[in-house]
Amino acid sequence: MKILVGLVRASGGEAQLLGRPAGDRATRERIGYLPELFRYPDWLAAREVLGFHARLMRLGDARRAVDAALDEVGLSDRAADRVGTYSKGMQQRLGLAVALLGTPELIFLDEPTSALDPVGRSDVRALIERLRARGTTVFLNSHLLGEVERVCDRVCIVDRGRVVAEGSVDALVGETRGARVRTDEGWREYDIAHDEIPALVARLVAEGAHIHAVEPKQTTLEDRFLALVRRA
Amino acid sequence: MNVLLFAGLTLRELIRRRLVAAVAVLTLVITAFTGWGMNRLATAVVDGAPLPEPAVHAAAAGIVILLAFLFSFVIALGAALVGAPTMAESIANGEVLAVLARPVRRAEIVLGRWLGTLAALAFYVAAAGALELLVVRGETGYAPPNPLLALAFLCAVGAIVTTGAIALATRLPALTAGIVAAMLFGLAWIGGILQTIGLALGNARLADAGTIVALLFPSDALWRGALYALQPAAFTAAAANVNGSGTGVNPFAVTSAPPQAILWWAAAWTIAVLTTGVALFRTRDL
Repeated sequence: MKILVGLVRASGGEAQLLGRPAGDRATRERIGYLPELFRYPDWLAAREVLGFHARLMRLGDARRAVDAALDEVGLSDRAADRVGTYSKGMQQRLGLAVALLGTPELIFLDEPTSALDPVGRSDVRALIERLRARGTTVFLNSHLLGEVERVCDRVCIVDRGRVVAEGSVDALVGETRGARVRTDEGWREYDIAHDEIPALVARLVAEGAHIHAVEPKQTTLEDRFLALVRRA
Repeated sequence: MNVLLFAGLTLRELIRRRLVAAVAVLTLVITAFTGWGMNRLATAVVDGAPLPEPAVHAAAAGIVILLAFLFSFVIALGAALVGAPTMAESIANGEVLAVLARPVRRAEIVLGRWLGTLAALAFYVAAAGALELLVVRGETGYAPPNPLLALAFLCAVGAIVTTGAIALATRLPALTAGIVAAMLFGLAWIGGILQTIGLALGNARLADAGTIVALLFPSDALWRGALYALQPAAFTAAAANVNGSGTGVNPFAVTSAPPQAILWWAAAWTIAVLTTGVALFRTRDL
């Protein structure tokens, strides 16, 4: 991610961003970036941080852009407060507001929820979904694979600097088989395709079994990730 | 344009962090103390008679030079301790990451931080220096021969240390860059003393060593410019006489203005070191 936004030089290969070489200055007008580890000056107010970035981007209507970004992350009420008085979660939201400023075409989010509580994480997921609905591409870097599975259309798994798998979540996870059924006798597992579950339930009921629960077996992205990384 | 934005950010930080207020209060205290001392000097009675004006002026001139020397240390320390953090801390705390994802050149950050630090120093030198000299003049009637030139030279001393501190801070942590820049200033001062002693004793090797240090970090050569601008003609003549006898050296006196060549060298040095700092920052992975 840092190579793409021009913070780190590539030791080899070629990287392009929006059709231009990675790090190209003009391209950087069209992107937003939330770094993983950052701290804005604690003596500036959130509005001033955003105003500074708006000037760096030469935004025409800076005030409106700043207001929109603050509103998007729910910081409008605290916009005049100094960053030094913010909690970690609020600082993260300010970082998101900076990344969103000026409605970029492509937004890089590096571990955006790592410092957030469950409510904050849910807010960020909702924000990513809003951006996606708006047609903005969000490049999410995360070790929280449950989060990736919930919000990403395409996933790329990188292990020790190499791409080991790439594709849609469904394609990566693959077809999942199997179900667990709890009857009076307890849990029992069946090796069947998921679309065969209704027929299985019907057959068990016809045989006089009392069914308490049916759980289709789920393979998660995390299972797939671990299998790929451990195999490597 | 972006350079001015970063310079403005640096100045705003110095104001918000209350550095400007703290320095202003201390400067007023020092100025008041100087004023009191000068008043005592001007009204001193020796052997039942007030000190004659030439004696008061000579004493005031000496005190002004010592004050300027102290002032040059404050400027150098200020340049090192403001310049280095303003660059290095924005890298260390990740503030620069989101900034560099904007259409910003890395050179603009380095130059903006340099310009902001220098503007703050220049304002301090002009305000505090003018205040001190006005108080001295008000109490004793003494004014150094070329006060504006002296303040300009003191600003140039600050520019050299700022340049070194910021160039170092593009790669080193704030503390290390600041302390190294301050130590280089000290080293340059010692180099200047060695040069003076070498010239006085006719020891070419010692004088050359001092010259080499002056070329590597030209702050002392500029301090000597300030010294010459503050020195009454009698002091310059006395310094030349002492040097000629080879029996003693006064580190707070010079025999002539710094040569034009060293001033050009200081300007070229500033550009070269700043360019090196930009190159170091441009090639740094963040």
